Amino acid sequence: MKEEVAIIGVGQTQYRRQHSNLNTAELVRQAATAALEDAGLGLDAIGLIVGGVAPDALAGINHLDMHAISRPGIPYFRVNTGGATGSSALLAALSWIHAGRCKAVLVVTVERMGHASSAQKIFNSIFDPIYEKDISMSTISMVALRATLLMQQYGYTLEHWAGLAARNSASSMLNDTLENPRFFTAEDVLKSRFLAWPIHALEACPTSEGACAVVVTAKSLVGSRKAAWILGARGLSDTYAIGDRLHRPEGSLVDLVTLRRSAEAAYRDAGITNPREALDVVEIQAPFASSEAMAYPALGFCDEHDCVSFTENAIEQKAGIAINPSGGPQASNPVSATALIRIAECAQQVRGLAGRRQVDGVRKAIATGQGGATQFSTAVIVGNQQP
Amino acid sequence: MNADPELITIPGRWDFEYRYFAGATASRFFAEIRDNRRIMGTRCAKSGRVLVPARSFSDAEYELTTDWVETGPGGVLEVFTIVGTKFSGLPDPPFVLGYVTLDGADTAILNYISGVDLTDLDVAARILMTRPRVSAVFKEAREGRITDFHFKVEQK
Repeated sequence: MKEEVAIIGVGQTQYRRQHSNLNTAELVRQAATAALEDAGLGLDAIGLIVGGVAPDALAGINHLDMHAISRPGIPYFRVNTGGATGSSALLAALSWIHAGRCKAVLVVTVERMGHASSAQKIFNSIFDPIYEKDISMSTISMVALRATLLMQQYGYTLEHWAGLAARNSASSMLNDTLENPRFFTAEDVLKSRFLAWPIHALEACPTSEGACAVVVTAKSLVGSRKAAWILGARGLSDTYAIGDRLHRPEGSLVDLVTLRRSAEAAYRDAGITNPREALDVVEIQAPFASSEAMAYPALGFCDEHDCVSFTENAIEQKAGIAINPSGGPQASNPVSATALIRIAECAQQVRGLAGRRQVDGVRKAIATGQGGATQFSTAVIVGNQQP
Repeated sequence: MNADPELITIPGRWDFEYRYFAGATASRFFAEIRDNRRIMGTRCAKSGRVLVPARSFSDAEYELTTDWVETGPGGVLEVFTIVGTKFSGLPDPPFVLGYVTLDGADTAILNYISGVDLTDLDVAARILMTRPRVSAVFKEAREGRITDFHFKVEQK
């Protein structure tokens, strides 16, 4: 990494099914001003704003970022990599600082999907209109398809998915950014209806609205502020078609090749050789339990042979690393913001500002981002010590 | 002015019309299905992989495909899901969709799957989990769309 960079401000709105008391710009302003206040900087110190908004159709406002995020007198661009939008926006911010174009960037993401009354129909419209959209694909079925491969290949069961969902639910009860965290047990999950086999209704992330903003600065602006230093930050794209990723030497549909390679590069940046020992917290951008299990081997926490037993330990909170202390995206998944929320949560953990969900003695944490049928993956490592 | 007003929501609806240009390669792929009941793939010149559905270039290699190859009509159901809940704008449940690797293909194609009793989803899933052989079933009235066919699980 060229110049040391840190997150010095985090602002999050409450996450809830709908913010009917705020229009989109008002929702954004809450998060943006909170992040600036946390950083102790004014908008005049910001040299770039990066906006993160995934499909406009979820909000039903085309280019909603134009009125809701960009600010007069400050350069602006938007990033959209689906579920990885928030972390991709952070990578873009780092590039500007590393290139010396500015010292401070405000990254702002917002999700307004509470406007939509037919979200899965909108998600169907993200698929290829020539070959796939007409087969009624949705984001839920896209995840379910891969879950069935994990079950065939490694022997995962419905109980594993329910167990992970229940653990995330239990953790989410301590997360004060969630207005109405849902508590349920693994048995409750198994008793809920199937959305798309093997995904039960309680395993799926709820409709979630909210905004998340972070202030990222060069070392010279950090001063004595509490900082989450960026130790490694990488991202990669994969081939688009899901059916093209089933038979290939570098890894199948469930091997998350791009996350593995992103994480390996980020570990090298951070000087980490044994991630399970070096990392205290991981926030995985996994809206479903199977997505979380797929990430474990890609992050180097286990290999293919012991991924099921690692998952069983992870369900019992005995994996040796705190997994999703926020409750993760299964508790709340504001699509455009979710990957930035993972980074913000890691930043608050290393800054010691995570409130009731604070894990003791966190020095290093990793956040993942996954977007577009895992076409886009990111891995961002933050630490409490300047590298 | 009332400090705590009744919150107003403005109704909205996106209702745009589109015509998606399939391009020459997908048009030939669909014409083969419509006119000849054949599912064709294209071969990547660099990797030799046969892509189904047919594409003019391999996304992984970014190289043009060359010859056309007939695949199927039989193949293997690799992954599946059984949609069990009604979602606004999508078909009534239950229905199965999955990716099938057709005989002679190196990639898998998405379509609806029939031939399994969906009375009990767990029982149906156990059958579908065995990566069963499937075969393409073509509609009588074909219009040159991906929905001109689907896959049916072969009875053992």
